[in-house]
Amino acid sequence: MEVRLEDVWFSYDGRRYVLKSINMEIKGGGLHVVMGPNGSGKTTLLKILSLIYKPTRGSVIVDGRSYWDLGPAERDLVRHHIVYVHDKPILLRGDVWYNVSLGLKLRGFNNYDYLEELIKRYGLSELLKSSSRSLSAGQRRLVSVIRVLALKPRVLVLDEPFNYLDSSRVKILLEDIIAMAESSLVVIATHYVVRELRDNAVKMYELVEGSLRG
Amino acid sequence: MAEPLVDIVARSIYISLAAALIAFTFGALISLLMLVTPRRLSEMLIGVFDALVGAPTVVVGLIVYMLIYPGGPLGFLKLLYTPTALIVSQALVALPIVVTLLYRYFEQLWSDVKELVLSLGAPAGKVYPLILRESPPALIAVYLIAFSRAIGALGAVMVVGGGIEGLTNVVTTAIALEVLLGNYEYALALGGILVVLTVGLSVVARAIGGLVWR
Repeated sequence: MEVRLEDVWFSYDGRRYVLKSINMEIKGGGLHVVMGPNGSGKTTLLKILSLIYKPTRGSVIVDGRSYWDLGPAERDLVRHHIVYVHDKPILLRGDVWYNVSLGLKLRGFNNYDYLEELIKRYGLSELLKSSSRSLSAGQRRLVSVIRVLALKPRVLVLDEPFNYLDSSRVKILLEDIIAMAESSLVVIATHYVVRELRDNAVKMYELVEGSLRG
Repeated sequence: MAEPLVDIVARSIYISLAAALIAFTFGALISLLMLVTPRRLSEMLIGVFDALVGAPTVVVGLIVYMLIYPGGPLGFLKLLYTPTALIVSQALVALPIVVTLLYRYFEQLWSDVKELVLSLGAPAGKVYPLILRESPPALIAVYLIAFSRAIGALGAVMVVGGGIEGLTNVVTTAIALEVLLGNYEYALALGGILVVLTVGLSVVARAIGGLVWR
């Protein structure tokens, strides 16, 4: 799968651009790391890459086709392969199991074996019947990461995935990300660049005041 | 002899339940329409509704009076000093708070659920069932807040209802009348009931609102 950003600009208010003339290409597999200070535009860039935000100017080309020029049904098909983990996890009303299995349910899957494996590996088994409201920041992060990993996507985009996680969970997640990057495209935005990410990245980007330095 | 207390309370509850239902129905429609109007216009409108939340209820009553008095444009409906006039004026009193609460709630919910669905690579159409699933506790809470606002609106109901015994006398008008007549104990009893009703409903609304995340 190939995602290409061509001269992408983005503004929330129509006046100030938080992304300026971004050109970026990710394809095949491998780990891409986007670094940058707070407010540099990392989250916005990742949401554009994940086909959640439409650029104010410029194009998002997915497998040779301009995504935002496609019809709604075609967009759904393309987006099926790209998933995103929010910097601030979005959990719905209900228990942990409902939230952690939401991705599979929404996409019509009914095989939960891999999900259950992930739940055990990340130590969430005890919390499955707990209300999503009662979770700590780290537990909310785990729910949002696990529900996406369970989808085995072709493109996985993670926004600050290590925030609030303890060191043992960071280690497990790093292992999973690196394993996944062997067959899928993984894009991570983080200010927490550990040696494992640096060693395994096929490309590192630096975002400074909305401009990319590859 | 004063009208039986139970009759006044029952009338108040019936009129305010109906008014809250009307305010809620129109408020929900207005807030949903505002969500699909251009942002600048919807921000301007929500500013107007915000300002109207604190509008004196007697002014609302005066406007309704001017519309329905025998020489007014809707005078032919013969609504003045009827329970219907009370329902209409109470609904108008409650409408702004319903619009502002529902608009902000739907705006945030729509944004969160849409981002969640898209981030999971699910079809965009899955947003709607999830919003329906998330909404009920908040909608019930807003309805109860509307009821609370409606039942406490003295000025409006005094102007269009006149506090006629057996017809338009509700708790607030009865309190005002009994104070004028020097029946302080009866007025205090009515006041106590009004406080219990409004505070009790606020507690129920808060409890239901708290369920949003369960």
